[in-house]
Amino acid sequence: MMPNERKLRDAFIAALGVAPDAAVETFTYRGIKEWDSVAHMQLIAGIEAAFDIMLDTADVLGMSSYAIARTIVVRHGVDIEA
Amino acid sequence: MPLLSRPPSESAPALIDGAETWSHARLNDAVDAAARSLGAAGPLGFLWCRNDRATIVGYLAALRARRAVALFDADTDPIDAAALVACYRPAWQLGPRPAGDDYVSAGDASLPELRLRRQLDATPIHADLAVLLSTSGTTGSRKLVRLSAAAVTHNARAIAEALAIEPDARALTSLPLHYSYGLSVLASHLVAGAAVIITSDGLMADALWRTVREHRCTSIAAVPYGYQILRRLDLDRLDVPSVTTLTQAGGRLEPALVTHFAELMRRRGGRFHAMYGQTEATARMTVLPHDAAFTHPASVGVPLRGGAVAIDAGEIVYRGPNVMLGYATDRADLSRGDDLRGELRTGDLGFVDADGFLHVTGRVSRFAKVHGTRISLDEVEALARLAPEAGPVAAIGGVDKVIVYCEGAAADTLPARLRRLAARLRVHPSALSLRAIDALPRTANGKVDYARLGAEGA
Repeated sequence: MMPNERKLRDAFIAALGVAPDAAVETFTYRGIKEWDSVAHMQLIAGIEAAFDIMLDTADVLGMSSYAIARTIVVRHGVDIEA
Repeated sequence: MPLLSRPPSESAPALIDGAETWSHARLNDAVDAAARSLGAAGPLGFLWCRNDRATIVGYLAALRARRAVALFDADTDPIDAAALVACYRPAWQLGPRPAGDDYVSAGDASLPELRLRRQLDATPIHADLAVLLSTSGTTGSRKLVRLSAAAVTHNARAIAEALAIEPDARALTSLPLHYSYGLSVLASHLVAGAAVIITSDGLMADALWRTVREHRCTSIAAVPYGYQILRRLDLDRLDVPSVTTLTQAGGRLEPALVTHFAELMRRRGGRFHAMYGQTEATARMTVLPHDAAFTHPASVGVPLRGGAVAIDAGEIVYRGPNVMLGYATDRADLSRGDDLRGELRTGDLGFVDADGFLHVTGRVSRFAKVHGTRISLDEVEALARLAPEAGPVAAIGGVDKVIVYCEGAAADTLPARLRRLAARLRVHPSALSLRAIDALPRTANGKVDYARLGAEGA
């Protein structure tokens, strides 16, 4: 796995408090009990810190899955393949 | 009639639920029908709450039928739920949970989810008892607050007056209905002839904001953590100009955030109200007048009509018609009458300032003993927050030590912060331990989860 993809995964694992090998790619907001609004705030802060980016209102509300989070960080200029 | 009013127009909306809107007249009819079904049921019921119309009708019907009802989260753990049923032995249950072998389905058109107990428990229920609510954010606790119908009705009216809720107001059910604050949003709007917009989405869900826009919601209630979310989302960027009232309760909101949201509301001709309450007082005790948010942002305001606040040995003591009858920890307690006589020792520390505004400074019981000295953990937190670089902090008592968790703190800043904090508290630095933590554990309500923090520190 590339370092930036790893960073995103780690941000999810830390914010949701799930096991390091959890299938975060399948998670959706409120789809699992660990991903509640409290965890979501922490996830947003974690992703911002990991990539040194500033997410806007639409990003915060729209980040409802791992795949969408990936799209959002790419839009903020992160090379997820790097 | 408790909580239902005769608004200027009975066709005015009461419940707005997706595409369907119920007028006050229609709600009234539905509650009448459901109350007839509950009238035939026994004297105590459990209502497993979701944020939906069936829960609201069930609650209002219980009040109308004068059937005491206990409100619980429908998502309560099944083992805890079974223990609650075994402890209180309700005659009927409403809601989306299996009721257990002791109950049979008795649903009808007005109450599809009604289940009746096969063998009624004869332990008497006091005639004044109307509503039972859990005290804590944790679900499954057997300790319940006993409230009279008079307390529930009085508090709803007093809140509607203090917040100047007009019949054209539309409040969002942004909090759970089994939570006293969430229930008070419903009650205060219905008594004012206003409407609630039903949602079970969280503040972080796009769907919630679509609902706010579509139904022109005017009022949102949130706890302090909700205000952190709202600040992060930036209300002005959410395109919800109809929202002109924000209310806050459920713990202390930082004065800087009070000022922030008061200013944000003022710019759109609206109001922000910081408030103070406890389930033990039905919901609300004091409200900060919206214009006082700028002059007294650290205050929770003045008592509601009929209420009075006094300070006894530092503790806030509230008197008013909305004070609970007392606690219950088992079925036998439900036969008890008014234990408190309208006087509630809140367990909160506070003071009344020169202008008559109440300030809440902490909890009576949150003290740690360090080397024989009592240290207020709330004071430790307040002082630890003074550091210019401080984020959220939480202090717990350890063995002869106060442990202060500093969210998002850089480890290399902690030694200097520890020295300054020890000097301010006038304790030896060895009495304190500052630890960096990525994120403080929080409860579903967004409050710091001290129990989990304590478990991690052990």
